[in-house]
Amino acid sequence: MGFKAVLPIISGIIPFGAVMGSAFAEAQLSIWQAILMNTVVYAGAAQLATVDLMSQNAAVLVVLATGLIINLRFLLYSVAMSPLTHDSSALIKFLCAFTLTDQSYATMMANQSKFQSNSEAVQFYLGTAFCMALTWHASVYAGFIFGNFAPVSWSLDFAVPLSFVALLVPSLKNKKYIAVAIVSSILSLILYGLPLKTGLIATALLSMSFAFALIRRKNDS
Amino acid sequence: MIHDRYFFLNVILLAIGTLAIRGSFIAFSGKIKNSEKLRELFSYIPAAILPAFIFPATFFHRGIVESIYGKERVLILIASGIVFFFVRSTLLIISLGLVLLYVATTISTI
Repeated sequence: MGFKAVLPIISGIIPFGAVMGSAFAEAQLSIWQAILMNTVVYAGAAQLATVDLMSQNAAVLVVLATGLIINLRFLLYSVAMSPLTHDSSALIKFLCAFTLTDQSYATMMANQSKFQSNSEAVQFYLGTAFCMALTWHASVYAGFIFGNFAPVSWSLDFAVPLSFVALLVPSLKNKKYIAVAIVSSILSLILYGLPLKTGLIATALLSMSFAFALIRRKNDS
Repeated sequence: MIHDRYFFLNVILLAIGTLAIRGSFIAFSGKIKNSEKLRELFSYIPAAILPAFIFPATFFHRGIVESIYGKERVLILIASGIVFFFVRSTLLIISLGLVLLYVATTISTI
């Protein structure tokens, strides 16, 4: 079920994977190095930024800090996933953590009303994660071998924000969720210029603080 | 040229750090008590984070349709969002958005 649910949004992953693959090739890494990094790190935006830094021989600390700051948003997803994996085995917990991506997490959250139990939610999530991993790896290696194969005129990169709109709209259950989304939209534009792509995590944290204030206000009244 | 030792050191440290970030709360999920208030707060994560992916990528993109100052993606995104609100089909919204963008950019270059 999860595999099928994430299928419509993979069109946004393919061009991103192709760009990653061609970045590996441009950095003169071998296919085995590309496979290693793509498998053990498995985080597109961080990989793209750190491969670029490594090509410039940046200090290890700079490479590491950049990659981890970009990946900090996964901490929020991990917090939100934790109640669902409460009864899961260590192996399932490891797989859920290792495969945590923006798309698979958001697809699962957009479908959460359909789940009867936590194990059903985890099963659904793993289906989305498997589909994502398969698509990501295939498109990265295709990009490595053939270069960035998608014609520019198709503007396939635009599929990413479009697919996120499809995940966002069902999550706006009432006025409070809409208010949080509006605050996040405005903050994301204001904070876009922050260094090391920290605008994303700063927007997420400030918007979550706003959501927390809304919840507290409701409880007080 | 990236040297092997430098590459492997960076990749291994990145992999460990990323897994620690991703797995920190999941690994201890049995030991952390989640209150109803916390669950409610988590439900706001998509609303808090997804616009931060959508809006900068669309708004700061330099398009080529001069009559709307290169902001064709913003207009198409809004139109696609409205269509999705009524139709609720992910495949349709992505196809519609990409076709509209292709048409807009093709017409502007003629």
